[in-house]
Amino acid sequence: MKIVGISACTVGIAHTYLAQQKIEDAAKKVGDEVKIETQGTIGTENKLTKEEIQEADIIILAVDVKISGEERFKGKKVVKVSTETAIKSPNKLVEKLHEIVEKEN
Amino acid sequence: MKEFLKKANFKGHLLTAISYLIPIVCGAGFVIAIGMAFGGKSQTTLIIGKFDFFQALATIGGQTLGMLPVIIATGIAFSIAGKPGIAPGFVVGLAANSISAGFIGGIIGGYIAGWIAFAVLKYVKVPDWAKGLMPTLIVPFLACIASGLIMVYIIGTPVSWFTAWLTALLKGLNGTSNLIFGAVLGILSIVDFGGPINKTAFAFALTLQAQGINGPVTALQLTNTATPIGFGLAFLIARMLHKNIYTHEEIETLKSTVPMGVVNIVEGSIPIVMNDIVRGVVAAGLGGMCEGAILMSLAHGEGATVPFGGFLMLPTMGKNWWVGLLAISANVLVTGVVYALIKKNISIDDEKINRQKEEEDISLDDIQVM
Repeated sequence: MKIVGISACTVGIAHTYLAQQKIEDAAKKVGDEVKIETQGTIGTENKLTKEEIQEADIIILAVDVKISGEERFKGKKVVKVSTETAIKSPNKLVEKLHEIVEKEN
Repeated sequence: MKEFLKKANFKGHLLTAISYLIPIVCGAGFVIAIGMAFGGKSQTTLIIGKFDFFQALATIGGQTLGMLPVIIATGIAFSIAGKPGIAPGFVVGLAANSISAGFIGGIIGGYIAGWIAFAVLKYVKVPDWAKGLMPTLIVPFLACIASGLIMVYIIGTPVSWFTAWLTALLKGLNGTSNLIFGAVLGILSIVDFGGPINKTAFAFALTLQAQGINGPVTALQLTNTATPIGFGLAFLIARMLHKNIYTHEEIETLKSTVPMGVVNIVEGSIPIVMNDIVRGVVAAGLGGMCEGAILMSLAHGEGATVPFGGFLMLPTMGKNWWVGLLAISANVLVTGVVYALIKKNISIDDEKINRQKEEEDISLDDIQVM
């Protein structure tokens, strides 16, 4: 399965990157391909490309604040959680993403 | 009602606005702090030849901090309505400023401006030939005039009364009530390690700072600074007591937790606290309580001019810098000692169990599928 997404938090220096790391670790552990773009105070890093979004099975947004470029995901299955959920329960979250994708197919 | 609150997303919009506000307050806060430290005073206008370098600094910073209601209103309106929200947000923020509704007025005005812009975008239908007028005339004009007038004639006055009352109340706090207020703030700022309670307390303290009351936000942030360092100190104290309180993994984590604390990033302590949430919260809460109480009572509610920065906040506290340092030290010491004492000694077997510990279940409320 291919997961892409965005993480962004209020202050934009800590939760953003913790969430990115937790989701990436949890997804890799179950053999998923994963890429999380971070929108911190420093700006956008690890930017998702058009192809990556096109190929993704599901989009995960771990965000507490308004993000830029949400329209890129038009037509895709998008799941939104707070960064806190992603940091506290990344494995459960990834499991949930799998469930959602399977239900779709 | 619950559904409505979730849809309205009050907190999300406010947090978005705060995320734009913080760099502005930090930048301007340090500029004004340097200016004021060398005797500069913030002026309403700088007349060529009539001011010195430090007055220039104080004025640059002071003017910016005076714009905070405008910035928060613009941020909220932008978060609600996107780009079309910026113009009415800006206008309503200035309206809040002129009717002395302050930061609270800016927050309320931001929601109003954002929702009006959103509603105009959604419900005002124009013929095709007028499509070009929508973004250039119709949305900005309608949203600006409506939200501006609502601010000036309806909510401005009661909010300005409330702001004046709250400001006077907090400025008038004496020794004991300052001590209690500080202690409560210290606890609130740390019980969830950068989570929703912390952010709510932060929004409140930031509101007060925009009104010129610097103590609360300083109390809050110095706790955020001290707590991760306190967990580091707990390691050393436990060693002295011949106790082993951290796993290998946690000791590795501590190496980044402590420096993160120095620059005010409390979230660094999350991986540590997660493994023993009750004891972690007790240690951090007690530390925060002492810090807040010391700071608010000894500095008489005064604080740093910046709302972020860890140890870098101390120089902006003027003559109270030593109170800040004392407060941080007390917090580090209390958190460190308490955690080292109450944390159970762990053996290698425990370490394994700890690693396999179940994650918290995600509640469906937390997930939004679109």
